Amino acid sequence: MAAISESKQSELVQGTLDMLILKTLALEPMHGYGIAMRIEQISKGVFQVNPGSLFPAFRRLERAGWLKCEWRATENNRRAKYYILTEVGRRQLKAETREWGRQIAAIARILEAS
Amino acid sequence: MFALRKFLGGLRALFKKEREEGELDEELRDFVEQRAATKMQMGLSRQQALREARMEMGSMDSVKERVRAVGWETAFNSFWQDIRFALRMLRKSPGFTTVAILTLALGIGANTAIFSVVNSLLLRPLPVEDPGEITVLGMQQKNEILSQYFSYPEYEDIREQSSGAFSGMLAYRLGLDGLSVNGQADHIITSFVTGNYFTMLGVKPFLGRLILPSEGKTPGADPVVVLGYDYWKNRFGGDRDVVGKSVSIDGHAFTIVGVTPKSFHGLNSILNMQAYMPMGMATIEGDFKGDFMADRNARGFIVFGRLKQGASVQRAETTLNVIAHRLSEEHREDEKDLALSVFPERLARPVVLPHNPIIAASALFLALAMLVLLLACFNVANLLLVRATVRQREMAIRAALGGTRARLIRQLLTESLILALLGGGAGIMIGVWGSAMIGSINFHVDLPIFLNFSFDWRVFTFAFVAAALTGIIVGIVPAFRASRSDLNELLHEGGRGVTGAHQRLRSVLVVAEISGSLMLLVVAGLFTRSLENAQHMSLGFDPEGVLNLTMDPHEVGYTEAQGKEFYKQLLERVRALPGVESASLAFSVPMGDTYTSKTIAVPGYTPPVGQQQPNVSNNVVTPGYFKTMRMPVVSGRVFSDADDEKAQQVAIVNQTMAKRFWPHEDAIGRTFWAVSAPKKPYRVVGVVKNAKYAAIFVHGESYFYVPLAQEYTPIETLQIRTKADPGNMAAEVQKEIESLAPTLPVFDVQTMEDSLGGGQGFLIFRLGAALAATLGILGLALVLVGIYGVVSYTASQRTHEIGIRMALGAQPEEIRRMVFRQGFFLVICGLAVGLLGSFAASRVVGNFLVGVSAVDPVIFGGVAVLLAVVTLAACYIPARRAMRVDPIVALRYE
Repeated sequence: MAAISESKQSELVQGTLDMLILKTLALEPMHGYGIAMRIEQISKGVFQVNPGSLFPAFRRLERAGWLKCEWRATENNRRAKYYILTEVGRRQLKAETREWGRQIAAIARILEAS
Repeated sequence: MFALRKFLGGLRALFKKEREEGELDEELRDFVEQRAATKMQMGLSRQQALREARMEMGSMDSVKERVRAVGWETAFNSFWQDIRFALRMLRKSPGFTTVAILTLALGIGANTAIFSVVNSLLLRPLPVEDPGEITVLGMQQKNEILSQYFSYPEYEDIREQSSGAFSGMLAYRLGLDGLSVNGQADHIITSFVTGNYFTMLGVKPFLGRLILPSEGKTPGADPVVVLGYDYWKNRFGGDRDVVGKSVSIDGHAFTIVGVTPKSFHGLNSILNMQAYMPMGMATIEGDFKGDFMADRNARGFIVFGRLKQGASVQRAETTLNVIAHRLSEEHREDEKDLALSVFPERLARPVVLPHNPIIAASALFLALAMLVLLLACFNVANLLLVRATVRQREMAIRAALGGTRARLIRQLLTESLILALLGGGAGIMIGVWGSAMIGSINFHVDLPIFLNFSFDWRVFTFAFVAAALTGIIVGIVPAFRASRSDLNELLHEGGRGVTGAHQRLRSVLVVAEISGSLMLLVVAGLFTRSLENAQHMSLGFDPEGVLNLTMDPHEVGYTEAQGKEFYKQLLERVRALPGVESASLAFSVPMGDTYTSKTIAVPGYTPPVGQQQPNVSNNVVTPGYFKTMRMPVVSGRVFSDADDEKAQQVAIVNQTMAKRFWPHEDAIGRTFWAVSAPKKPYRVVGVVKNAKYAAIFVHGESYFYVPLAQEYTPIETLQIRTKADPGNMAAEVQKEIESLAPTLPVFDVQTMEDSLGGGQGFLIFRLGAALAATLGILGLALVLVGIYGVVSYTASQRTHEIGIRMALGAQPEEIRRMVFRQGFFLVICGLAVGLLGSFAASRVVGNFLVGVSAVDPVIFGGVAVLLAVVTLAACYIPARRAMRVDPIVALRYE
């Protein structure tokens, strides 16, 4: 899904990109580049998000009704498409975060057991 | 909810495609810009920053493609693209397209036509409430055949004791009656029904009311009649004021109380019932006296049950077994060794039969039609294989331009599916025509036959599924073949495309085709032979030159005395007509639809242990009968006018009956009597030659005749042997009848030869032979086209090789032999496989044949030789063409 261009960067775990986008938008509405930057920054450069994954994800989340979008002016007064988390999206984020936590814990237990 | 949103999003995208595309474009460009801006802040030049940003993104088009691929509408779009492309390709080669569509249309059409018949005969549910719960009861006494006729007391007992498994049970009796109104009488088919008939079925009146549950319990008590919709339309012109009107049925006054809905035709699947009367009114029928409601042996009632909700047929059968046992204990004489059975209504059409041959025949003909479709598939698959070879280069180029293999296969399958669906559309038209042809069969009987072969959703679904499957079957192998091309080899000049595997596959197709068509032809041959045998079978009488007219004076209320007088005068007048050789009356016409039988006791004859008293069919005739029918008398005498009601009761028996009951002595002068009338014995006065009686396919039946004067039955067929064409006399005779009895309906007016074509006669043989022959000829045509195509294509592919051979000194004759040999080998293989298949199929077919073995060597051999000659001729033409190849031209082709 998410691509990596350098070896020190990691591949995103399958299916997590959607969750990361939702999480990023939980703070405030953002445009595409902003979201990519934020994910990169917060992960301290571990994840680099490729547009080839990012934009299909936007379309997918939009279709699912978790995001909606709006054309707004940016800080430097250009027109950009802003993505906004919907109420459904917020609930979905919560559910996915919980599920993710469960899975991480389970995987950790398996790794420790051996 | 979720799916709906996705769907709506996709729909929006489909319609606002351009706007959304523009937005995506802008968004992506923006992304690159901002990325570049960030990189410039890190110290890169603008040009270098932009370059890097673009490289990170990769091809903008591919990103867009991936975004587009998210929604379902993309799949739709590319599907639409495939369809348009496929249509363009098909238009580009109209010859191929036409041949393919026509071939498939023939195959699908044959299937659809036969399926529409099967649908009408077996699948379409009764137009009643919850038709799946409706069942038909059958009964059987030891060593008797399975029957669907019960007596009224039996019905009552079973109904009362079976309420655990059935929520309702009705009985009805078919009747032929005369309905007169305004001095005009019609001969109609009627049902005498129990009061719960309509309520149990859940049928609502179209006009007025139907028979009420309270009606019909007392003989003669409720003179009301409900008309069938079509009869009401035809006879009363759809007059809504008909309710309350008075009519006369068999001379009794009745009041019309209602009309049934249009969809309801009664409970017999092939008759269109014209009127319904309460059961108690069955007393108006001449042969049914008032005590039928108490007589355990007066069996003439068909019993339908509605299963309780959730109750299975098995459970119902268990319940009935208990009842049967109880009844045979309680009534040791009448219900001896009674067994009851129950059938889902659809499996008991048109009547309850031991192994319903309609189901077996349906399966057989559907299988034959499928075989035809399979042959059509082979032909089209072969055409597509050829095309695949031709299009290998196109496929290679598309693959080089980035088309994935799956995409190419999808494209090719779309093409074959479109072909098949177009073929299916044309096939439906052929099917409509075909089922109309089958529906136009003449039953040679004046009854409202109800055959509705119209195309409902079941037939359309069948045609659609057949077409879709056909599309996949014919397309899948060529699609995989074509898409598997090796890019490198093909794009280099010199890839000649023909590979060994192709050849093998094609050979298999040819062998399969020959064997399939051999099976079709063998079945066609067997059925034709069987029809021939049936038509040349010794009937035991001479049907040529005889005219039949049937009438029932009881239908206009004639008493026995009036009826006898009428018939006496009628015979005198008809005999006086010029051109009449002899005239007589008979209750039963061979292969007709009225017949009767008696359970008899013969002094000195005891039935084998465990068997009932013998039940023997009989006829009621006037003295001239044997002369009119030209039935030879073996010994004794025929009836005379002296054998009247005052004289001793006499009978004439056939040879089988004489031999069965009086094997060691002369039958003449012996006596026997009907179990129902032991005090009135018959004395045998004559023995006549055996003949065919009820049905053409029944052999060696015992049979006897009694004189009409001693045993009056009102319904009689006037049979006239004429010197000239009997058909020409019909009008004249009808005029005589009209002058004697002005309102009497006369029906089944036809020559004896025509009447032999009816349902008990040649009808099913003719129908079977016609259907099998049609399918066989279709199969033959398909195999011819197929083999010619394959052999000539293969030969043309070998032009180069042939050129080299000839350049190296091969003689034209050798070339011809080489090409021919290949075809010859395939034909022999095909014939061998086909003969094996025919042997396997013969067991099923054998059940439908008369006078011919299902593995008849003449037919098997004849068909094999015919097919060999025809297919080898189809190989010969291309072989001759190959012989004339000019080596220079063939080699220069490179």
